[in-house]
Amino acid sequence: MKIPFPSLTFFQALQALMRQDEARFRRLGFVDTTFGIRIVTTDRAWQYLLTFEVFECREVREVSTFDLTAIDFVLQGDLAAWVEMLDNIRQHGGADVSHSLNTLTHFGERLTLLYDDPDNRDKFFRFQESIQEFFDLASALDVELPMSTAAGAVVTT
Amino acid sequence: MAYLSTIDFFTDRNFLDRWQRTLRGELDLGWLHAKTEKLAATPENPRRGLTFRDLDQGAYGFTALPEVVRQNRSLAPRGAELPEGLPDLQPAVSHKSEVWAYNTEGYYEEAMTRQWNATLDVPWHELAKYELPDDISRAYAQLLTFLTEVEMIATDVPAQWLGRLNNEFTEVKNFMATQVMDEARHSEVFRKRALTTGYGLMKASPQNEWSLKLIRDSDSFAEMSLALHLVGEGFVLTLFRFSEYISPTELDKKIFRLVMQDEARHVGYGVQHLKWVMRHFPEKREVIHQHLDEVENMVFGGGYAVEVTEPFIILAGKGTKKENIEHGTRITALFQMKQIEEYFERLDKCGLQERRQRSKLHNALELTRASLQEAGVIP
Repeated sequence: MKIPFPSLTFFQALQALMRQDEARFRRLGFVDTTFGIRIVTTDRAWQYLLTFEVFECREVREVSTFDLTAIDFVLQGDLAAWVEMLDNIRQHGGADVSHSLNTLTHFGERLTLLYDDPDNRDKFFRFQESIQEFFDLASALDVELPMSTAAGAVVTT
Repeated sequence: MAYLSTIDFFTDRNFLDRWQRTLRGELDLGWLHAKTEKLAATPENPRRGLTFRDLDQGAYGFTALPEVVRQNRSLAPRGAELPEGLPDLQPAVSHKSEVWAYNTEGYYEEAMTRQWNATLDVPWHELAKYELPDDISRAYAQLLTFLTEVEMIATDVPAQWLGRLNNEFTEVKNFMATQVMDEARHSEVFRKRALTTGYGLMKASPQNEWSLKLIRDSDSFAEMSLALHLVGEGFVLTLFRFSEYISPTELDKKIFRLVMQDEARHVGYGVQHLKWVMRHFPEKREVIHQHLDEVENMVFGGGYAVEVTEPFIILAGKGTKKENIEHGTRITALFQMKQIEEYFERLDKCGLQERRQRSKLHNALELTRASLQEAGVIP
């Protein structure tokens, strides 16, 4: 069954895959962070809150707002950037040199890190490999991505 | 040997008599009645295991540690009975505020579970599938030479302080021990990667070595931590992120993600240490500023190290043609501004907001920003 993106189902599927692959994530170590995902188009936004604890993604939920003083950071980007990243992960079995989370966020060209406290923001770096491998799990999913248009925008159904 | 026993045990009558009695089964058993707290610690979260935080109870805990540790100057573990006759090891640091950080115990547990192995966790066998242009390979080998150099001092510095801290600071010492291992592994992985490029190691960096010497020769642990954890590793963390950004292969991306994780943990300790000091000893503010003046001077002087800046320009611009160099120069300038901005952001959150006003480095940042805006590089 195809899993639509963006959707809560998509992140729940990643959460389930992480639990199934506990040995892989146990090898990477404790991951204790709560961060938001914000996917935007010109007329709407999808927002999810992911909570990681010990070796697993303990909770994923859809939220209407983020309180940056209560969470570590928010990964924000337009839908086209997210779709391109997931499409790349699907093609390569993981992000290639141009689509790793750090590369996409470093200068905020494609994805942006929003935060209140830089020490909490630094958790994105402290748990970088765990977070990257969490998203790389998407290569095992049959994701229904919105269609790209010639102009680089995306069309959601 | 700096210390020799004051007793020759092979001829001391008291010792030999005591030894004989023990051999005959005449036990003392005084240790059975050690005057210590009796407790049975349990994990708060079984999935996380038994952590230092679970042991934070009574005299065994870190919460009860006084600011000045006067009673124990020996190797006795915190919470043990201190009988007469323990040696004074003359620890150089017995003030909690000089070493303590919020969440020290958490950083230690995180470090222990997130250890990785430079020999096995990097897919070295995949190198065969990459063929990099000559100029990229040379620039990368030079960058790796610099990084190996940096990580060697980052290994030495915490190691040289370990034995000088009072043994009551268990969690800090353990965290420092993980940092020594982390930095040794970084030095290892960069050396290994350099020796796979076909160019081996390139040229050492005198200006950077002088900066590293400033960190190594700090007069106190607090000075060292400020220079190493907060300034040095803060700048290197941004540098690792940038190196991941410009990495020529997926294998290199992985290396930089792995080292980035460790570095961010060390920076976290430095930030939380400065926060602790500012909250508990605000009178140290001026001393901190004066030390930052010196450290920032060295940071700015790093601009002399063309053997570091130029490889970044070539790697960021993906070559040595004129257009590559122009592009690489712009991106590298943005990276250097980002390094400085992130440093001041951290200081802001530690309560040193006024640092921006008095810092010559911040002034240099503003001048750089104005010049890049004038050149149309940034909006």
